[in-house]
Amino acid sequence: MAKTKEISRRIKSIGNTKKITRAMEMVAAAKMRKAIEAVLRTRTYANLSWETVLHLSAMANGNGELRHPLLSQRAQTKKAAIILITSNRGMCGAYNTAVINKAKESIKLHPDVPVEFILVGKKGATVYSQKQIVAAEFPKSDVLSDSAEVTPIIKMAIADFLSAKYDKVVAAYTDFVSPAKQVPRVKQLLPVDISTEDEFLGIVGDPKISVTKDLIAEKGSKHLYANSGFEYIFEPSPEEVLDKIIPRLLEVQIYQALLEANASEHSARMSAMHQATEAATEMVSELTLFYNKARQAGITAEIAEISAGANALLD
Amino acid sequence: MADKKTIKFEIVTPENTVLSKEIIQVTVPTQDGEITILPEHIPLVSILIPGVLEIKTVDQEMEIISVSGGFIEVLRDKVVILADTAERAQDLDENLIVAAKTKAEKAKADALSHTDYDLSAVAARLEVEMARERALHKWRKLKNVK
Repeated sequence: MAKTKEISRRIKSIGNTKKITRAMEMVAAAKMRKAIEAVLRTRTYANLSWETVLHLSAMANGNGELRHPLLSQRAQTKKAAIILITSNRGMCGAYNTAVINKAKESIKLHPDVPVEFILVGKKGATVYSQKQIVAAEFPKSDVLSDSAEVTPIIKMAIADFLSAKYDKVVAAYTDFVSPAKQVPRVKQLLPVDISTEDEFLGIVGDPKISVTKDLIAEKGSKHLYANSGFEYIFEPSPEEVLDKIIPRLLEVQIYQALLEANASEHSARMSAMHQATEAATEMVSELTLFYNKARQAGITAEIAEISAGANALLD
Repeated sequence: MADKKTIKFEIVTPENTVLSKEIIQVTVPTQDGEITILPEHIPLVSILIPGVLEIKTVDQEMEIISVSGGFIEVLRDKVVILADTAERAQDLDENLIVAAKTKAEKAKADALSHTDYDLSAVAARLEVEMARERALHKWRKLKNVK
């Protein structure tokens, strides 16, 4: 009988865990819906603004007439910074691990460049234990209200880039593709560079608004005068326009990255919790089988004992 | 008016796409004053200030949109406006604007009497509300209501 008691206790506890994971799954699903809405709303703006930035950068590096410190490539990368966007809480499967690994992969590509981390979100703190240097930590709110929340991050990044503390600033975040698929991505923010890979944000929803090199080239030939190339008039002056436009657009990029990360986090948590709920259901049914077997065995043993006793009396 | 010459116009804010249409002319408030963009305009990038956008669509309809600042990028046959916020005049509510304006005016008066307040932020808010009001008035005049 002791065995059945133990099993039934386990069944109960797994049942309770299942209740929790199911509740968490539902909460994550609700949050995910909101986060996806936010992501899709901002995506057009973010992509159009990134297009503009890339145009400006193509122009800055093209004819050499236009120079802006945020746009010009440095000859040598002495130090780089990674803005790592992670979640505040766990229970979301491999979400955080995936983005941290992606960041580390890109570090490994350039082993001679020292890297400092700028963390956004609590779970990024795992990089401390991996002997990485952390320059700053920023809190991440689970629900972003407006892009002003990322201003301190981008201000710091720009200041450190301009003071030549870093020669490159990249962002590592998780791109939201669909509720079932999230892709960790590393994207170069500073200096703005048209030739870097993975420069687009979220291609789902509307493939037309994703920004790729082809699109930029197409846009260049289609919408700009062929003979003048990437030449714009700036009003009032190139310096003034670029000084205003680039920080703002970078801010939007980080904001969008955060929104993407949030949507991904909730989706990841939802599917992780869904799996946990399913695993719990399976476990309960398995344990119920064991329980019944144990109970049956107990009854059989009891009957055998009783009949043995009765037989002994008859004899 | 040269026919067939149109501009692909798009105005987006971080919240939504306000308008995406074929147009023939748009007037925007930039830092250096109002400019009107017609088809075949040379590529241009400029900074917007709070104000009113006037748009003439291909079917000769007028659209009035208030913006609170942002950027404009003009390409050969395309205009992209990246606005911080933007509302179409027909979606504006006068009562809300008046309330917000009075609040902003009060805040500005407060800021003027306290030297440590950030006057520029308050003034900017007032300007946004005034731009909204102007947009609404223009819209009404256009539609001949009140």
